[in-house]
Amino acid sequence: MKKFIISVIILTALFSCKIKPPQLIRIEGKQTAINETIAADKTFENTIKPYREKVEKEMTTVISYTPKDLYRTDGDLESSLGNLMADLCYKRANPVFNSRTGKNIDFALFNYGGIRAGISQGNITNESAFNLMPFENSLVVVELTSEKIKELVNYLIEENKAHPLSKQLNLAVTEKGYDLKINDAALDNAKNYFVLTSDYLQTGGDNMNFFKDPVTVHKLDYKVRNAIIDYFKETDTIEISLDGRFRNEKTLKN
Amino acid sequence: MKRRNFIQKSTAATAFLTLGGLSLQSFASKNSKHITILHTNDVHSHIDPFPSTDSRYANMGGVARRATLVEAIRKENPNTLLLDAGDIFQGTPYFNFYGGELEFKLMSMMKYDAATIGNHDFDNGIDGLLAQLPHAQFDFLSANYDFKNTVLNTPIKPYKIFIKDGIKIGVFGLGIELKGLVDPKMYKETIYLNPLEIAQDMSRILKDDEKCDLVICLSHLGYHYKSDKISDLALASKTKNIDLIIGGHTHTFLPKPTIVKNSAGENVLVNQVGCYGLNLGRIDFYFDSDKNLASKGKSIIV
Repeated sequence: MKKFIISVIILTALFSCKIKPPQLIRIEGKQTAINETIAADKTFENTIKPYREKVEKEMTTVISYTPKDLYRTDGDLESSLGNLMADLCYKRANPVFNSRTGKNIDFALFNYGGIRAGISQGNITNESAFNLMPFENSLVVVELTSEKIKELVNYLIEENKAHPLSKQLNLAVTEKGYDLKINDAALDNAKNYFVLTSDYLQTGGDNMNFFKDPVTVHKLDYKVRNAIIDYFKETDTIEISLDGRFRNEKTLKN
Repeated sequence: MKRRNFIQKSTAATAFLTLGGLSLQSFASKNSKHITILHTNDVHSHIDPFPSTDSRYANMGGVARRATLVEAIRKENPNTLLLDAGDIFQGTPYFNFYGGELEFKLMSMMKYDAATIGNHDFDNGIDGLLAQLPHAQFDFLSANYDFKNTVLNTPIKPYKIFIKDGIKIGVFGLGIELKGLVDPKMYKETIYLNPLEIAQDMSRILKDDEKCDLVICLSHLGYHYKSDKISDLALASKTKNIDLIIGGHTHTFLPKPTIVKNSAGENVLVNQVGCYGLNLGRIDFYFDSDKNLASKGKSIIV
């Protein structure tokens, strides 16, 4: 009998509660780190496996060869890897730009920080290109006035870093200031120059503000990494050296 | 679990007998409901755990491990929603080679309920995103990207209402301003609408019109900015009727969810779990129909 009464009370209580809307009374928050203490789900592993194998195979595919180590730190104001990167981007991009505009790119400039990994002596794989350039930046050609080129040069001298520059630009820091040649000619104050760089730097990355408000910007729809891979694929053995394209003649004299 | 329930019930019965009246505890257990929200953000195509040689995240992350954890939590509480706050794409060769196919397939297997769109989800253009949508068995929600002049108009909805154990949960999505962040040729004629105004509209629709018990904002706006750019913290303080903002974009690691007072003086939870699938966020909501319990207000334990 007692049991029956309790049941009736509980039932009545339940029904009377049912009609009331549920109210939020407590919130708890926490997070769990995903680490090796959690076993991997087998079904998921099996789904991933064929994709992983194909990616690994693709990444380890040999696409070129370098007889020496390529680093961004093997020079003073230039580097073997920086020279290679700027030159190969120029080489891949100029035909694209020329076919669209009938004009030629004057030189290429990227940033030291954008070189994300070195390449060791031996085979070069797709993975080398991914490590060198993990970002999805694309190539752009920026038309700059000679005034902006002067800003660019001052930036390079101020930064005093081995920012990747293509061989068309020759810059010496001298006692008097600097000595600049673009395609073997002195800076023409009446001329605009076409500079190849990445969309990241054009929009103000690494404080390269001289790229920000150019005369024109031409997007090439060509990713930096794809230019690197395409160049490696067409080049059996990489040949690159330090050639003093950007140098400090003040320190050399001392 | 069952045993604990039994003990609670017998305690309740004892209370009836001894007190001869209604105990507060008694039907709290019967009429209480429990909703679990699990979330990720900025996974950026990190399918595999980081290698043991990684300088920052050695042996951390991994989708197959996350799947194990999610499954265990679902067993514990079937009334669980799994959400992602965007930037599913871009960051490993899996994306470069497959365009997001594997990311979406695995998220579907894990039974994600909804995701919002991050700026990197436009990396292969809106056409690239559309092409992968057949692999996603979950909804993409975005209330402040107007896709009416694009191919994404039909597949992407502003919000969705989920009902779990009778609890109505409204989830809406918010995206970051794309101009200057994404190449216009990628997002085409997607129109960015003011997230704050949209959030105010959405929370009114979900709370007042749809009578949701819980309103969740899935945001890719970013946690906080020094400038006056709209962020999750700013959004939380300038809106009302939102219970939880799950954020992304800024890859913010928080020691615990942030509690912010909204425009009506109520507490809002803002959470984000870093990036790359290194963590799984979890927020548990406990409801009760008991008037006396409810009148005490909600407690937040973080």
